[in-house]
Amino acid sequence: MSILEIENLSFSYGNPRGKLLENVLEGIDIRVAEGESVGLIGENGAGKSTFLKLLTGLLTLKNGVIRVSGFAMNKENLKAIRAEIGYVFQDSDSQLFMSTVYEDVAFAPRNYGKSEEEVREAALSALRQVHMEDKVDRQIYRLSGGEKKLAAIATVLSVGAKLMLLDEPSVALDPKNRRNLIRILNELPGAKIIASHDLDFVYDTCQRVILLSGGRIAADGETEKILTDRELLEQHGLELPLSFSRE
Amino acid sequence: MSRISDAISELHKLDMEADKPGWLQGIHPLPKLFVTVLFLVITVSFGKYELSGLLKLGIYLIVLFVLGDISVKLLLKRMKVVLALVCLMGIVNPFFDRREMLLLGGFAVTGGMLSAATLMLKGVYAVSASYLLIVTTSVEEICYALRRLHVPKLIVTVLMLVYRYIIVLLKETERMTEAYALRAPGQRGLDYKAWGTFAGQLLLRSMDRAQTVYDSMMLRGYDGEFYLRCKRAAGRGDYLYAAVWSAVLLFVRAGSAG
Repeated sequence: MSILEIENLSFSYGNPRGKLLENVLEGIDIRVAEGESVGLIGENGAGKSTFLKLLTGLLTLKNGVIRVSGFAMNKENLKAIRAEIGYVFQDSDSQLFMSTVYEDVAFAPRNYGKSEEEVREAALSALRQVHMEDKVDRQIYRLSGGEKKLAAIATVLSVGAKLMLLDEPSVALDPKNRRNLIRILNELPGAKIIASHDLDFVYDTCQRVILLSGGRIAADGETEKILTDRELLEQHGLELPLSFSRE
Repeated sequence: MSRISDAISELHKLDMEADKPGWLQGIHPLPKLFVTVLFLVITVSFGKYELSGLLKLGIYLIVLFVLGDISVKLLLKRMKVVLALVCLMGIVNPFFDRREMLLLGGFAVTGGMLSAATLMLKGVYAVSASYLLIVTTSVEEICYALRRLHVPKLIVTVLMLVYRYIIVLLKETERMTEAYALRAPGQRGLDYKAWGTFAGQLLLRSMDRAQTVYDSMMLRGYDGEFYLRCKRAAGRGDYLYAAVWSAVLLFVRAGSAG
């Protein structure tokens, strides 16, 4: 069963006079199954961030259809959709705005009207999933970069998101934290879309890869097949992952 | 460390102190806020020559500073600018009000001196009581208590966000001043020619960061209200704290009026 269905999605930004500029995304058709991990790759300006923002309703959908867990993307369904989708920002500092880890992780379930007991259960379960149960009362500013990333993931897990969108999750992580993040992401059962330039990271976490180029889908298929296709990657401004290029 | 880093660090330290285990920290925020507000109201209710009554009110601060193990030295260090400003209030009173009010060992105390001292003491009390509240209660808890006291949610949300965004703004300022200093070695501070651009850039970058934080809140179901909860419900001890202090403060006030 699909958690995400996208049909004929197009998007363009308007200039200050309201005139639409060239399409940033065009003719996008994607289906993501429950529990599937999809890597979203493409050179800078390919439309990855725009795509993620459209999925969360941060940008208004103008053309095409987006359905999340059967809810069509529109103003009325936005709250329900946001309970199904979790967005992990590239900069964890922007995502974590409460004083302690617990308060931040509890923020979403409280907004969805859960009782304090349910909130506590959801927050602790989310923190357990990212192995941060021992940092419940830690002040946010005292966390390391890797811990902040895991806390940011916990903030979206606590609301029970079935689809997680991660924007450049491996940026600024040292090798140990990067490996830890890969392990944790692979343990999480929900569907994931990971937008990244770190192709090795995508290789280690995703079964499927979508290559965006000029706002269109240039390739969609098995990770192994796409990330080892030097010609395809170079054609769209990318290079083989480091681990393959060394061989 | 730069002055901006110091400021950010001080804010974090305040958060940490409010969170550490302690007798005063353990009191429920609602009675704590109520008693603080009552203390402030009673402080300002004293007349300009009622110095002796005001001095008796100091018992509240002394007891809490001692029992709460709060450092007065740190208060003076952190609040030095505010306290200096507070002490400046009423400094001109002795020049205008020269009426002799009492004799102290042959020294004539004028009405101006008395009113200046009263005004300064009121300021010091207000700053100290607010500091006591902040250093023993987190912003989330204060906001929670404010909502319980039916302060409009708009005011509480603004208070909460201002506190959070101050750090965002300070961090952006720090990044920009560091980038500037690295490319302007040997220069002290920011050249006045760069002030306009600097302020403009700071505004744009802060707005950008603030927008991301806001997006993050919206994506997690934020609908205009922070649903703040307290770690525990108020118990008998908390009500007793409020009752005892209310009685003491009102007794001191009534005694002074008599």
